[in-house]
Formats: sequence, C-alpha cells, structure tokens
Amino acid sequence: QYMPVCFPLGTPGMAPPSMVSTEQRQHAEHVFLSFRKSKSPFAICKHILETSKVDYVLFQAATAIMEAVVREWILLEKTSIESLRTFLLTYVLQRPNLQKYVREQILLAVAVIVKRGSLDKSINCKSVFHEVGQLISSGNPTVQTLACSILTALLSEFSSSSKTSSIGLSMEFHGSCKRLFQEEGLRQIFMLTMEVLQEFSRRENLNAQMSSVFQRYLALANQVLNSPLLKKKKKKNQICFYDSKIREDSDMAQDSLQCLAQLASMHGPIFPDESAQVSYLAHLVEGLLSMINGIEIEDSEAVGISNIISNLITMFPRSILTALPSDLFTSFINCLTLLTCSFGRSAALEEVLDKDDMVYMEAYDKLLESWLTLVQDEEHFPRGCFVQPAIQVFNSYIQCHLAAPDGTRNLSVNGIASHDEEEINELQEDDRELFSDQLSSIGMLGRVAADHCIPLLTSLLEDRVTRLHGQLQRTQQHLMASSDPGSVDRKVLDDLYEDIHWLILVSGYLLADDPPGETPLIPSEVMEFSIKHSTEVDINTTLQILGSPGEKASSIPGCNRTDSVIRLLSAVLRTSEVESRATRASLTELLSPQMGKDIVWFLRRWAKTYLLVDEKLYQQISIPLSTAFGADTEGAQWIVGYLLEKVINNLSVWSSEADLANDTVELLVTLVEKRERANIVVQCESWWSLAKQFASRSPPLHLLSSSVQRSLMKALVLGGFAHMDSDTKQQYWAEVLHPLQQRFLNLINQENFAQISQEEAVKQEIVATLEALCGIAEATQIDNVVSLFSFLMDFLSSCIGLMEVYSNTPETINLIIEVFVEVAHKQICYLGENKSMKLYEACLTLLQVYSKNNQSRKRGDATAEEDQYQDLLLIMELLTNLLSKEFIDFSENDEVFRNQEQGTPASSRAVSAADVVLYGVNIVLPLMSQDLLKFPSLCNQYYKLITFICEIFPEKIPQLPEELFKSLMFSLELGMTSMSSEISQLCLEALSPLAEQCAKNQEKDTPLFIATRHFLKLVFDMLVLQKHNTEMTVAAGEALYTLVCLHQAEYSELVESLLSSQRDAVIYQRLADAFNKLTASSTPPTMDRKQKVAFLKSLEEFVANVGGLLCVK
Amino acid sequence: MADEDFDCGESGASTTFPMQCSALRKNGYVMLKNRPCKIVEMSTSKTGKHGHAKVHLVGTDIFTQRKYEDICPSTHNMDVPHVSRKDYQLSNIDDGFLSLMDDNGELREDLKIPEGDVGKDIEKRFDNGENLIITVLKALDEEQVVSIKNVS
Repeated sequence: QYMPVCFPLGTPGMAPPSMVSTEQRQHAEHVFLSFRKSKSPFAICKHILETSKVDYVLFQAATAIMEAVVREWILLEKTSIESLRTFLLTYVLQRPNLQKYVREQILLAVAVIVKRGSLDKSINCKSVFHEVGQLISSGNPTVQTLACSILTALLSEFSSSSKTSSIGLSMEFHGSCKRLFQEEGLRQIFMLTMEVLQEFSRRENLNAQMSSVFQRYLALANQVLNSPLLKKKKKKNQICFYDSKIREDSDMAQDSLQCLAQLASMHGPIFPDESAQVSYLAHLVEGLLSMINGIEIEDSEAVGISNIISNLITMFPRSILTALPSDLFTSFINCLTLLTCSFGRSAALEEVLDKDDMVYMEAYDKLLESWLTLVQDEEHFPRGCFVQPAIQVFNSYIQCHLAAPDGTRNLSVNGIASHDEEEINELQEDDRELFSDQLSSIGMLGRVAADHCIPLLTSLLEDRVTRLHGQLQRTQQHLMASSDPGSVDRKVLDDLYEDIHWLILVSGYLLADDPPGETPLIPSEVMEFSIKHSTEVDINTTLQILGSPGEKASSIPGCNRTDSVIRLLSAVLRTSEVESRATRASLTELLSPQMGKDIVWFLRRWAKTYLLVDEKLYQQISIPLSTAFGADTEGAQWIVGYLLEKVINNLSVWSSEADLANDTVELLVTLVEKRERANIVVQCESWWSLAKQFASRSPPLHLLSSSVQRSLMKALVLGGFAHMDSDTKQQYWAEVLHPLQQRFLNLINQENFAQISQEEAVKQEIVATLEALCGIAEATQIDNVVSLFSFLMDFLSSCIGLMEVYSNTPETINLIIEVFVEVAHKQICYLGENKSMKLYEACLTLLQVYSKNNQSRKRGDATAEEDQYQDLLLIMELLTNLLSKEFIDFSENDEVFRNQEQGTPASSRAVSAADVVLYGVNIVLPLMSQDLLKFPSLCNQYYKLITFICEIFPEKIPQLPEELFKSLMFSLELGMTSMSSEISQLCLEALSPLAEQCAKNQEKDTPLFIATRHFLKLVFDMLVLQKHNTEMTVAAGEALYTLVCLHQAEYSELVESLLSSQRDAVIYQRLADAFNKLTASSTPPTMDRKQKVAFLKSLEEFVANVGGLLCVK
Repeated sequence: MADEDFDCGESGASTTFPMQCSALRKNGYVMLKNRPCKIVEMSTSKTGKHGHAKVHLVGTDIFTQRKYEDICPSTHNMDVPHVSRKDYQLSNIDDGFLSLMDDNGELREDLKIPEGDVGKDIEKRFDNGENLIITVLKALDEEQVVSIKNVS
C-alpha cells in the first residue's frame, strides 16, 4: 500500500532544490519517516528493493528494515531474521552496480542485525566471518570488495564510538558488544585483512580494479590498527610491503604509512616477553631502513615517515632500543641523521617558497622532537653515540639559517636568493617563541656536541659582528657623502642582522634554559665542557676578552686560549657594543630592532643562569666560570654595570619600539629580582640616575609604553630592598617613591582640581601615577610587604576620590580598580588581620562609589565588545583576590598583629571579608546577564567567584536578598547544565557547602532548603541518566551525597520513581540492587567524612555497573 | 622637531602639542588629517623582520564623528590637540543662541543650539523649566555642546 506513495515522492526527496518546493520536500520526508516507523515493513521493503530503480527509495527501504528489526526483535522468529540477513547479503552480491551509499546502508543493516543477534547469541559471529572468508577466497575482486565493505561495517558498528548506530539500546549493551568483539571479532577481521594484503603484495601486476580492492583493504587495516579495541592483539604480521606499487597511489601511500606508524607504536602486553619485543622492533627497523634507503622520499610521505620514527622512539622502552643489534642501531641513527638534515633543508625551501602546506616543516619538527627524546635519555645509550649525529644536525640547522656563501638561507632550488620584504603585524610571534621547540632541540644537540658547536657559534658570531661593524661604518661614510638615506642598500645589513638573529637565538637556547618559576642551572654538558678545557685556558686573557667588548676578539693576544663558554657570551656582548655605538653615532635608523630584542633576550636568559653563579648548587664548578661571574668578583660587577648601561641606553633610544623596550625592562627586572644581583646593581651610579630620571618623569622615559613604565617602577622598587646602609636607603626612597607621592598629592589637593582634571596633562599625570602604583604592587615580596603596603594604603583612599572625578573616563576607572586588584593580588596573603581589615575597608568604599557611579553609567548595546566590560571583570577579579586569602595565607608569623588583636572579638571588627565580597556580589550579580556569560573571560571569572563564595561563606547565602539569591541559584544551575565541564565542576563543588549549611541550620522550607532539593534532582539525573564526563563523577558524587543526607525522603522518591518506570524485570532487579548497594555503607546517611568516602567508592562501582544501563543510544 | 614651537594657535597658547607616535594611547586624542580625533584603534607593524615599527591609527573626529586613518613611523611626532570640557549653566535661549554662565559668573552668548537630538533635548527641557548644566567640548578653536545634565 506504500508503493503509490513512495514512487512519486522518491524523486522530490532527491531532486535539486529548484525542482521542488520546500513543502513538497517536507511532505516527502514526512512520508519516509512514518514509513520507517511502520510495523513489520519487511515484505514491502523486500518488494521495494527488488523492484524500485530509485536509489534514495532503496536507501530508505534498507533503513526501514534496520530500524524495524531492532524494534521488533523479540517478536520475530529467529529463522526469519536469518533469512532476512541472507536476503540482504545475496541482494548486494547480485547487484554489483548498486550506488555506494545504498550498498553501505544495506550492509550496515546486516551489521546491526549481527550485533543485535550477538546479544542473545542467536547469531554466531564465527559463522559470519566464515562466510566473509569464503567471499575473500573467491578471488573475484567484486566479491572481495563486498567482503571488505562488510568487514568495515562490522568494525564501525562494534567499536563503541560515535560511529555506532543509534538503535535505542543501552550504552551497556554497546559496551558489552564491544568487549565481546574485541576478544574474537577484531582478530578475525585483522587476519582476513592481512590475508588479502599479503596475497596482493605477492602479485606482480595489479590492474586498476585489483589495486582499488587493495586500497580498500589497506584502509581497513588502518582502521583496525587505529581502533582503540586493539588491545590484546597477539598477531604481529609484517606489513613492510611499502613498495612502488603502493607509492604510485598517494591515498594508498597515506593509509599504509599510517598503518606503519600504528605498528611502530605497539607496546605493552601485546608482547609475551622482552625478546619478542626486541625482535619485533628489529624487524620493523630493518623494514623501515630498507624502505627509506630504497626510495626517494616524496613530499606527501615526509610526515608519515617522521611519524613512524617518532612513534618508534617515544613508545619503545629505552632497554628495547638499546637491545637492538648494534650495527642495526647505528644504521638507524645514521638514517635518522640524514633524514633530519634532509627534511630540514626541504623545510627551509618551503619557507622560501612561502608554501601554505608546510609538510617538511612538520616532519622536521617531529624528527627534532625525537632527537630531544633520545638525547635526554643519553645515559641509556652507548657513550658518545650521539655526538657525530648531533654535529651533523646542528651544522645543517645553522647552514639553513645563514645567508650565502656560508649558508643557504633564502636560496631557492636554482640557487637564486629571494629577498622580499613582507609586512609583519604585531600579532606575529617572535621567532624565539614560534620556533622554540626546534630551538630547544637544536640547543640540546649543541650541548651534546659542545666541543664542536660552542666554538662554531662563537667564530660565526664574531665574524658577523666584525662585518656588521664595517658595514655600518661604510654606510655612515656613504651617508655623509650623499646625505640621501634612501640610497642606502639595506640588503647587506639585513642579511647580517638575520644571521646574527639566528646565531644569538641558538646560542641562547644552547647555553641556558628558561624554566618558568624556577632558578635555572648551568646545563651539565656546558659545565663539563668548560671544566674539561679549563687547564688549557688562560683566565686573564679570557677576562680581557670579556671586558673589552669594543675590541675585535681576534686582535687580543692569546685569544685562542680562552674559555669558549665565556667567549660566546663575549661575542654577544660585542654585538651589543656595536649596536650601542651605532646609536651614539646617530645610526639608529640603520639598526635592526629585532637584533636589539635578540641581544637583551639573550642577556636576560644568560644572566638568570650564569651571573653570580651559586657554587652550592653544583657538584663541580668550572674555575673560569666562577672566576668570571661568581659572587664578589670584579667580572660580575663589571658585567652588571655593563648590562645596566645597556638597559638605560635602550630605554632612551628605543622608546619607539614597544617590544624591544619590554624585553629591555625585563632584563632590568631580572637584574634586581634576586637580592644578590640587586646588591651590586644599587652600587652603580647609573642606577641612581635612572631612578631619579624616572621619578622626575623627564624625557625620554615618559615616552615608554605604560606596561614598560609599570615594569620599570617594579624594578626600581625591587632595587630599593637591596642591601644598603640606612642613610643610603632613606635617600633612595626619598628619590624614588616620595616624588611620586608628592606630585600626586600636590595635584589632587589643588583647589581647582575638579576643573583641571580633564586637561590632558593632568590626566596623563594621574594615569602615570596609577600605572606606577600597579608597578609598586607587582614588586611585592614577603620581606618588603610591610613597607609597600603602608605606602600603597595612603594612595588607595585618594584613588577612590578619583573614581568620582573620572567617572566619565572608563579607562581611568579601570586603571583605578586595577590598582586595587594588584594590591589585593600581591599583598593580601601576607597581611595580618588588622592590615587586611584596612584593605577590606578600602575595597568596600571603592565598591560603594563604583556602584553609585555605575547606576548612571550607560553601556553600549548587547553586541558590544568584551573590553566594554573590563570594569566588571576587574571587580570580580578583586573580589576573588580578596577571597583567596582563605586558601593562601602566609601571615601567621605576623606576631605583632596577633598580640594586638587578642581580646578583640570577631564581631567587633569593622569590616569582614564576607561583607566586602557580598557587597560586591550585590553589585556584580545584577549586571551579569546570560549574554555576558558568552564572553569566556567574564564567564570563568564569574563562576570562580560564586563558587568561592559558596565554599567560604555558605552561612551568608541564606541572608541574601531574595532576587539576588534567586539569580545566584539560577547561575549555579545554568553553570552545571549548560556550560563547559570545567565550570560545571565548579558549580558542583559549590553545592556541598550549601547543603551542609542547610543541615546545620535545621530549618526546613527556607529558600535555600528548597533550592537544594531541586539540585538533588539535577545531580541525580546527571549521574544516573546522562552521559557525563568521568572526571566529574567525584565532584558530582560529593554533591549528591550531601544532598542525599539533607533530603533522604526525596532521594528515595527519585529512586522509586526511576525503578517503577522500568518494564524489564531483569533490569529492574539490577537497578534496585545497585541502588541498595550504593547506600548500604551509609545508612542512614550522615554528613560524616568516613561515610562520604565510602559512598563515593560505592558510587564508582554503581556507575561502572549500571551507568550505561539507563543511558540510551 | 625644531619647528614644533611654531605650531601654536593665534592666541599665543598652543592648541596642540607634539608627542612621539609610540607614546599615543588608545582613547587618547590626536590630530588626523588636521582634525582633532579620539583614537579608537591603534596597532603596529613593520616591513620585514628587521624593519622599524610603524603605527596605524584610526580615530574619530571628536566633533563630527567622522573616521580618519593614518600610518606613520613610530618615532615620528604627531600633534595632539588640547581637548577640554567645560560646564556652563544655561540661563537663556535667545534666537537660536544659548546664554551660558560659567563658574565665575561670566556670561557668553556666542554658542548656537546644536543640531540634532542634543539640541532638541535642550530646548524641550529648558521650556519645561528644568535647571540645566551644559557641557561644552573645546579643541583647537572649535566648540560644541556635547551633553546636558539636570541640576536638582
């Protein structure tokens, strides 16, 4: 009865949009959907399949069969299912010209039938595989293709991934199918696949049809190997038949390279013992080597090959790698070396050609990463076995980055140099970050072959610096003669700058590490290298070379008997000196700001590691290094002075180059952030003049960007805590901080301040002061917090006054709030109670003024950008910082305050953190709309804040005004259900303290009590009915437990109603048992830690047992 | 830089002052195509890896809201206008001109009712007998009423 409907409509369903109306299409779709839901459509479907010529109708018929079989499984006779399956298979076999999507859909129906049948064991997988095996051995390519499609359909249907069809069965069913299949089916598929592959690889000639079959099986093999199910596969077949037959077809080549990469990463319990693993690896490496050596690698193969090697090196234990026959290992390393160098050269070519798809760069990165892994485990390998390879890879890297004639940079294949000047915007990362992985590997290889690499870098750099000096001089003369700056040829200079750029980057990465938040040590290889040669070194000549950056190194007598590590630093200092002299000769325009950045970047990295080297940190120390840079040495004093001069010169010459100025001031901060270094810095006169200059806000320092000025202030404050006698110290502060205060007070205390406040000069002074205050706060350390806090507190109340004056200037308002944020961020953890309270009071006043001004403030429309809400973000940050004291508090040693506060009951305190924060929340909550939560920064900060509040001040939550309370609860629900898992977790963590609060109060029917009841249902559903992130189970479990304690009756109701909705008796029983077990250890549930832990443990079991039962796919 | 002293307005007080391009800030003021502008966008770029920074500026005319753009080396000096706001009490409206009194009680009657919504608002609220404070924005030799508020 469906036929008349189906046939005419089969066409509209597939017709191009122009041919049919939307209504027609919707109608047709509706017909198909209801057809698929009809009862027992098997006969009609069979009829359609046999008679219809419309592909789309065939497709729908297959789908209808698939859905109906699953739906009516229990009602169907096993024999009719079997005959249906046979019908479908025969159907496909007999119609080799079916559209691909129709054939796949029919086979999917077969696979689903097999899968469903495996549940009640009505279909035996073995017999299915037997049938497929017969198809394969038929030798007929068409039949073999079909067999391959069946296997592919089975594989995707059984793997419990997103590929699985939705057939309305529980996740548990899908999971158990997967387990069963993993044990037997997978291996069967793999064996069948291997059989075909081996047969094909033995054949001499493949025609087009056969090679397409071959390709399909390769893709299948790849899928099998990629399958997460493949855990216990014991069969290790060789598939090193990567030869010319496959390489001709790039798709096939990709598949087989991926297969190989998967094989290369096999490890773990697959192998019965170590020797099996060694022989497997040996086999793999041999195959790999003969493959690589036998071919010329195509562009498309580079990444695949590098993946194979990288997998080999990262996945196999070192002991297995070293157990390889030594000549095989050597050949492997040699091959890796050649390949790395060759990929590196090709990557450089790609850069010249500016290709979009940088395949060699990707492959090169992979191989360099593998080298890093190897070299870091050097002690496992034969001594020195990586030295020669390291030299080769290092040399080729340097060569690719230097200009001709020494190098090949920017040379295209035909040897012609290209030199185009592209526009680079400020968002482009600096090479030192962009290529940090490559540079780390090259630096590490440089250390391994320090004997070769350090002197090489030194001589290259010295040579370039000499040439740069000469070139600048010639250009200067040229300019004096012609006076037309446009006539200067920058090509020679730019080539030198680029050479120096890379030499300095590599030197920096070789000589030192820059681990965040740690004191970096001199790398052991570098230390050993210096020690090894220290007997041949003349210390005085070394110091002379170090101390005379203005002279050519090679002109100093005895210059070949110097310490190479110091000599490399000296080469950078020579570069720095050429730069500084050029600025003094007014040649700044000819210089490269990039090179300027490289120099201060290197010096900072170097200074962190080598300056005032602490001998206690090393087992052995190089005499040249400790003599030149140790504590109390002239060398250290000299170099601190030199670096300081460099910083001061840069800040005045390069104020127009923001990045360079930033890097420069970071060097300055590094010099003073360690007390030992700062002690030397403050002895330099130039330091004092820098301080005075900055304090008087005289040119050129006032031209620097605000972030540089902030860091400069930070450095000046840090320096003030260096060792000085008390008079000197007093004088220092009088020069640095007091002018700031004085000028500020003079300005704001003027009678007409309100009138002049909008004048540009006044605004600038105010902004500069606020920036400076942020800088001062950033300089906070445990031993200076007392004085800095008092100093800053004096400002804070004046800042609040400014909130009124500048209420129309959002950027100034933001800066004022930022001062508070910084002070709270850096100082609150050190403050005793008295001082904390002062800060709370100040913050409260700030919030009051902010709130008042905010009422009259107009904001842009809803489409406004994130930075319109900077103030809101800052306020939330401030509140979070204030709360953080509850977690991080170093103030216990503050005995003075403890004594003062004794006998002062908490209630008499003027302001508590809770007051401030809740007041703030009163302001923030009404402003936070759902639209604003779409901005990630606002969203994260907001949820961090409200979770903190619930955790720290749960007792304050019931006291919130009704509206506020409601929106807080709504926020929690929203965060739990429709935000990222991170935020969802935060919200879950907020629930336990709220529930505990309710339990403590023992008041029923309060709004919080009712809210927690609602949350009980939410968390219950989340854990039992929804697919959730397993990371969340703990947070959700803790929340659930406390909520259950609070609402035992409601919990029982939830369980009851869930059970009563189960029709299947078996499932009912399993669920009932599981729920009983879940609460068995904690009956009656009480808020007791031990019980809670027991509950969490049972919950884990619960989720594992029945977690998949109610979650349907 | 030597000629910066000659950039002064006629009154003798300079109406603009020079500032190094890199020291300009977003939301600050700058002269673009000889018009006083508020900087709404500021970014830098360079030509080639070893080139010097150039600053791209986008600003809106503080009086007409028209958009202007400029690009210049970051070492160059740009003119920055002195922009001021001044509040006056509105005492009368006469033939399209406003009578305004400043804090010192000095009266001026040279400013026209601005066109557009602000102007209509002033007339309407003045007719309602509201006591109004008028904010006048001034830069170079141009002045404009930009906002009004009620003194209660």
